[in-house]
Amino acid sequence: MLHIKPIINTLMRSKSGPILLLIQIILSVAIVANASFIIGERLALMDRESGTVEEEVFDFRLYAFDSSIDIESQSLRDMRAIRELPGVIDATTTSMVPLSGGGWSSGYTIGSSEKTAKDTESAAIYYGDDHMVNTFGVDLIEGRNFYETEILTGSPDLATHAIVSKAFAKATWGDESAIGQIMYAGDWGDKPLQVIGVVDKLQGAWVNSSYLDNSVILNVRLVNVFTKVLVRAEVGTLAQLKEAIPAVLHKDQPNRVIEGFTLISEHRKRVYRNHELMATVLSMMVILLLLITSLGLAGMVMFNIERRTKQIGTRRALGAKRRDIISLFLVENYIICIVGGIIGGLVAVQLGQQLMTLYSLPKLELIYPIVTIAGLMVLTTIAVILPARKAASISPATATRSV
Amino acid sequence: MFFYYLDLAWRSIKKTPLLSLLMVFAISIGISTTITTLNVYQLMSVNPAGERSDKLIAVQLWSQGKDAWKEFNAQVTYQDAFNLRKSDLPVRQTAMFVTGLAIQTEDADFSPLLETVRVTDSDFFGMFSVPFLYGGAWDKSVDTEAAYQVVINEEINKQLFSGENSVGKTLFLDSKPYQVVGVIKTWNPSPQYYDVTTGAFKDSTQLFIPFSLAPIEEFQSWGNNQSWKRESMDTYSDRLNSEMHWIQFWAEVTDDKQRDEYAQWLTRYVEQQQLLGRFDSPEAGAQLSNVAQWLDLNEVVPEDNKILVGLSALFLLVCLVNMLGLLLAKFLKRAPEVGVRRAIGASRNQIFAQHMVEVGLIGFCGGVLGLIWAWGSLSMLSARFDLEESLTHLDPSMWIIAPTIAICAALIAGIYPAWRICSTNPSVHLKSQ
Repeated sequence: MLHIKPIINTLMRSKSGPILLLIQIILSVAIVANASFIIGERLALMDRESGTVEEEVFDFRLYAFDSSIDIESQSLRDMRAIRELPGVIDATTTSMVPLSGGGWSSGYTIGSSEKTAKDTESAAIYYGDDHMVNTFGVDLIEGRNFYETEILTGSPDLATHAIVSKAFAKATWGDESAIGQIMYAGDWGDKPLQVIGVVDKLQGAWVNSSYLDNSVILNVRLVNVFTKVLVRAEVGTLAQLKEAIPAVLHKDQPNRVIEGFTLISEHRKRVYRNHELMATVLSMMVILLLLITSLGLAGMVMFNIERRTKQIGTRRALGAKRRDIISLFLVENYIICIVGGIIGGLVAVQLGQQLMTLYSLPKLELIYPIVTIAGLMVLTTIAVILPARKAASISPATATRSV
Repeated sequence: MFFYYLDLAWRSIKKTPLLSLLMVFAISIGISTTITTLNVYQLMSVNPAGERSDKLIAVQLWSQGKDAWKEFNAQVTYQDAFNLRKSDLPVRQTAMFVTGLAIQTEDADFSPLLETVRVTDSDFFGMFSVPFLYGGAWDKSVDTEAAYQVVINEEINKQLFSGENSVGKTLFLDSKPYQVVGVIKTWNPSPQYYDVTTGAFKDSTQLFIPFSLAPIEEFQSWGNNQSWKRESMDTYSDRLNSEMHWIQFWAEVTDDKQRDEYAQWLTRYVEQQQLLGRFDSPEAGAQLSNVAQWLDLNEVVPEDNKILVGLSALFLLVCLVNMLGLLLAKFLKRAPEVGVRRAIGASRNQIFAQHMVEVGLIGFCGGVLGLIWAWGSLSMLSARFDLEESLTHLDPSMWIIAPTIAICAALIAGIYPAWRICSTNPSVHLKSQ
């Protein structure tokens, strides 16, 4: 009914045109499938949530270079002053900021005895006080927050209590409850930490690490000339707090550098910049490639029509309907598309294999070449139908005119 | 003859404007993606050390224990850096790390600035060819006998001393007075090969102070600090005596012979340290890399970029196949005309040449248009993603590379269609006229 056999015969007779189309479709499928796979992978990475209220939480750096400052008491006064500012919901000092690309991480030792001791996965370490959970806006799903009296001030080694992220609890203790568990910051038995709470989700700073979702919050207010401060404030108040915070802190003690106000949502943008860039460039490539392929196809069909004017005219004179002519071109296109798609799919998988061995890319999922082939079928249909309709309007009389 | 063919080509292009435009468009898109990715790739893969690349040697030591990292760390420990500085084999050498300090001037109204500061040795400036505007590096004796001296760059000099020759003047870093001994011109090698540990494409540091001050002033490290051993680090001297890797070390040698001698010296150093109970891994040793090797080792050109260059090359191939098809269509349509020319006496070679000139012209137009696209997409990307200027400006070499690739690609695509047209028998077409 579709007259496939004569169409194949015609294709075989003038080989160069169809072969070129075939090559083009093979390459397009290979490139588009792999590119869209990489785009999909990057978008999925960027979609992960940090667990914090990213639009409300921002950080800044405080550098007390004057050695006469008593940092411990100064820091307490600073935090109290910040928390009282209008718009501020809560504030804490911190060792690091989620998604910022820099910070502290370590594995811990667990086990019931020195013999059975083993290392946990690495986790980001947030040193902060009882305000930290609220400042991040993370959900405490099990256990409790630190009491104010539990907060210690000074060096990281002082820590005694820990709040861990659900991902870390699961990786470390499986289905067992994390509450009440002991882990050691040093070798087994050295610097024990008791887990008192679990938060639903809190990411670390390194988005390309395998342990991004592993975090622990430890009960230490760090004392250092260089302090990072986390503030959670109502959306839109950052612009005025950028002025108000240095003003109020400098009034108390001028010999400090206060700078680097950055929302976590801005950190997110920066830290995922390369992924977003890759996704954008590849998307541009895919769109342009599809455009080029369909324009080229339309051009070829147009040329074919001119060359086959007589043939079409004769067919029309012999009783072929307009839609027969259109379907001739469509079937021709589908044959090339299907053959090219199958070979292209195989090439795509090969290319994916190569990329996987050469670079740190995951294995190409088969759905991508399949969707690409389907998409290409739709696109080429449009590219063929427009000129083919012109062909169908060729009058049967033209067939006899120049003979 | 060439200009006659060019004229013919132009007429032919005008005769089928849509098809010609489509070809120019196809090749320009292919060229622009290739040029965009290639441009970024080229800017990233530059070796800024140039001819000094082989003389500058980055030193790495496998000082970690048995079950620690499975590769050489990019940095060394302070104790190793301290010991290596005592070697008199290299012509010049420097240990360094980055810290951050608050800058103040004698002007009380000047609000303090927090700046990154490179803590390094006097040889740094000579080794990495840092250009000076005023003064020079601090004296070599300062590398052993610490003194509060500082080298600043042009920009800071403008901010602090309104651009005058500030050598001999005083500025305050963390409330301590430092004497300015030199002002360097704006100097920003890209990639920042002398320190790739915290990103190779960023603005370089603006201030430099002597490494010998580190144990006295206890500067914090703003770079990467990597430990393989659990050690308590309550005081700065704990840090200096620890196994933590946080110092970068470079040496300069005159030739390969001296490099080999230095390598032997390092092997002896490792053996000597083993007697002291350090370097207990079976893989313990030293690794030397010149600048080119160093950039390679640290994968300064990101993987993503290589993937993009590869994919865009395939993209260009698609555009070529596309163009080949369109050219074939266009040329064969003109077969009767060629038949007449052949019959009048044009040789096959002439027909071939005529068509290749036409293809070359299309390629050239595509190349120029592609360059404009590439320029547009680079500036769009850099605006959208706030990229470093050093990565997105269109390299001047592209003005030659782009049209060259375009013309070559077009000519390759044109060979088959041009051959087809000049090898057809003229009589066939003459008959049907």
